[in-house]
Amino acid sequence: MAAGSETKHNFLEMTEIRKSFGDMTVLHDVSLSVSQGEVICIIGPSGCGKSTFLRTANWLTPADGGEVRLAGELVGGVPDARSVSTQTKELNALRARVGMVFQNFNVWPHLSVLENVVCPQMVVAKRRRGEAEKQALAALAEVGLDDKKSEWPDNLSGGQKQRLAIARVLAMDPVLVLMDEPTSALDPELVSGVLNVLKRLAQKGMTMIIVTHELGFASSVADRVVFMEEGRIVEEGAPDVILQTPKTERLKLFLEKLNITAFKPNSDSAGHPTMDSGS
Amino acid sequence: MSIDLSIITNYGPQLLLGFWMTIKIVVGAIILGMPFGLVLALGRRSRLAIIRFFATSFIEVFRNTPFIIQVFMLFYVLPFYGLHLPAEYVGVVALAAFGSAYFAEVIRGGIDAVAKGQLESARATGMSDWQAMRYIILPQTLPIILPAMTNQTLSLVKESAILSTITVGELTMAAITVQGETFRPFEAFIMVALLYWALNETLAIIMRRVERKVSRRTSSSSRAKVVRAAPAATEG
Amino acid sequence: MKFDISYTFDALPRLFEGSLVTLTLALLGFAFSVVLATIVTVARTASKSRILAYSVAIYISFIRGTPLLVQIFLVFYVLPIVGINIGPMSAGILALTLNSAAFVIEILRGGLASVPQGQFEAARSLGLSGFALWVKVVLPQTFMASIPPLVNEFTQVLKATALLSTITVVELMRVSQQIYSNNYHPVEVLTGAFVMYFLMCFAVSRSASLLESKFEVKRA
Repeated sequence: MAAGSETKHNFLEMTEIRKSFGDMTVLHDVSLSVSQGEVICIIGPSGCGKSTFLRTANWLTPADGGEVRLAGELVGGVPDARSVSTQTKELNALRARVGMVFQNFNVWPHLSVLENVVCPQMVVAKRRRGEAEKQALAALAEVGLDDKKSEWPDNLSGGQKQRLAIARVLAMDPVLVLMDEPTSALDPELVSGVLNVLKRLAQKGMTMIIVTHELGFASSVADRVVFMEEGRIVEEGAPDVILQTPKTERLKLFLEKLNITAFKPNSDSAGHPTMDSGS
Repeated sequence: MSIDLSIITNYGPQLLLGFWMTIKIVVGAIILGMPFGLVLALGRRSRLAIIRFFATSFIEVFRNTPFIIQVFMLFYVLPFYGLHLPAEYVGVVALAAFGSAYFAEVIRGGIDAVAKGQLESARATGMSDWQAMRYIILPQTLPIILPAMTNQTLSLVKESAILSTITVGELTMAAITVQGETFRPFEAFIMVALLYWALNETLAIIMRRVERKVSRRTSSSSRAKVVRAAPAATEG
Repeated sequence: MKFDISYTFDALPRLFEGSLVTLTLALLGFAFSVVLATIVTVARTASKSRILAYSVAIYISFIRGTPLLVQIFLVFYVLPIVGINIGPMSAGILALTLNSAAFVIEILRGGLASVPQGQFEAARSLGLSGFALWVKVVLPQTFMASIPPLVNEFTQVLKATALLSTITVVELMRVSQQIYSNNYHPVEVLTGAFVMYFLMCFAVSRSASLLESKFEVKRA
C-alpha cells in the first residue's frame, strides 16, 4: 500500500470532513493534512466551523462524512464498518495520544492540581502512581505550576487553569495537541502566560493545531495559517503571506474587521505584559 | 380524654423492637436501593435503546403507583412464582425497588448538573464512558445530590410504615399490636409518631452536617470565584 | 399456577368504580388542603404572629417527619375517642387534607416569595388593603406561580388515597382486596388495580411536567 510512505509527510490526514447540525451544514468536505512537528493555526470568524473541525480531529465530535487518520491509523471515518465496541476501544487508545485543550479549561474541580494531571495517566495510560506523579510534576514545571500542585483548581486564575489543562495533556506524552481557542476565555492580562507556554511547546517540535483569535501569536508560532469561513477553508499558507498579503476578499475583510490592518508580525506581544500577572 | 402513660413503661420494649426493625429495613433498602438507583440512572443514559426503555419504564412505573400496592403485588407475586420469602425480606426488596426509582431520578439530575465540558475533557484524554463517569462525573455529582438523597432516605423511613400491612414487625406494626391489646390508640400511635419524628430529625441533622462538610470545598471555591470576578470586571 | 388474565378482566368493572372513588377522595382531600393551606398562609403572613408562625412550623415538621399511615390511624382511631364519629371516609379525607396542607403551605410560601414586593406597594397605593389586597392581587399571582408543584402534590395525594384501604375506605385498593379475597387470585386482580393507578398518576404527573416546561418557557 502506498499509504505507508504517505504518512511520513501527512502525519494527520483529515479528508473531506462533513458535518451538519440539524439542517445547518457547518463543514463542507474540509480536508487538511499536517506533518509531524508542524504547528497549524486555524483562524476565522466565529461560527465558521473551525472549532467543530478541530473537534472532529479526535472524533470527539463524530463527522457525518469523511475520515481522519493519524500516522496512517484510522481515528474515525464514515461509514465505519467496525463494531461500535472495538471502534470505541481503539478510539480511546488513540485519544490518549492526542491531547486536547478547551476554551473553558475543563479542569476537574474535585481533584487537586497534581491529581488532575495524575488521574488520566493512571486511568488511561495505566501508569503506576509513582511514575504518574513524576511525569505530572515535570509537566507542571513545564507550565510553571509546580508550586501549585496541592491547590484546588478553583483557587487558580483562568490562566493557571489553562496551563494546568495543558500540563494534563503533556503528561500523557501526546504526539499531537489540539487546542480550541485556548486563550479566548482569559482576562487579557492572563493571555501571554498561556501563549508563552504554547510557544515553548512549538519550539520543542510538538505537532499542534490551534484554533485562535491571537493573530500575533499565530504569525510568530505557526508554520501554516488556515483561514476558514462558512465551513470551508478559504485560504492557507505561511503566516506572513496569509496575514500580510491576503489573496481573497473575505480574508481581507476578516483581517480588517479584527482591526489589525496595521499589523506588524514582530509586535505580537505588544499590549500584553510578558508575565502572567494572575499567578 | 385522659392519657395513660403506663403504656410507655409496659409496652416500651415492644415498641423499641419495632423501631429497631424499622431501622434495619430502611438500612437494607438503602444498601440495595442506592446502587440499583445508580444502575437505573446510568441505564437511562445508555446507548442501547432497549436498556434505556427498561430503565425508564421501571422508574416511571414505581414513581407513578402507590407504594402500598407495590408491596402487595410483590407479597403475592413472589410466592406465585414459587419464591417464598419471610415478610421482612419482601419488605426490604419492595422498599429498595421503590427507593431506587427515586434515587435514580436524583442521580440523573446530579449527572446532568455537572458541566458538559467535564465529560468531554475526560473523553478527550482517552477515558471510556464508564471511566469518565467513575473518575470525573460521579465524584462531582455527589455533593450536588446529597440534599435530595437525604430527603429520599427520610421518605423511605416514612414509607416503611406501610410494610405493617404485610405483617412486617416494624414500628407501625408494633403500634397496631399495642393498640389492639390496650385499646389506647392515641398513646400507641402518638408514641410511634414521635419516634419516627425523632429518627427523621436526627437523620436530617446528621446529613446536614455531612452536606456542609462535603460542600465546603465547592462553596469556598464559588466564593473565590465571586471575589476574583470583581476586580477583573473593574479592570476590564 | 398460571397468570389467568380473565380474572383481571372480570374485575375491571368494579376496579373502575373503585378508581372513581379514589379520584373523588384525592380531589376532595387536595381541594380542602389547598383551602386550609391558603387560610394558614394568609393568616401567617398578615398577622405576623410569632406563636402562629411557630405552631405552623412545628405542624409542618411533624407532618413531614411522620408516616402518613400513622397520621391516618391517629385521625381514624382518636376522633371517636374524643366523641367525633364521622366514619372512615370522612376521617380519611380529613387525614389526607391535614397531611397535604403541610406540603401545600410550603408550596404557597415559594409562590408567595415570587410575588414582587412592588405588587404590595402598588396595591396599597391604590387604596387596596386587607382582604381585597390578598384576593385581587397577591393570591392570584401566588397560585399562578405555584401551579406546577401543586399538580405534583396532587399526584402525591392520589397515591396516598390507597392508604385509606387500611381504615376500610372502599377505594381502588380496597376493592381489589375484596375481589381477591373472594376469588383467591390476588396477582391478577392487583395487576388490574396497579395498571389503573399507573394510568391515573402517570397522566397527572405527565401534565405536571408539561406545565413545568411551559412555565419555564414563559419565565425565560
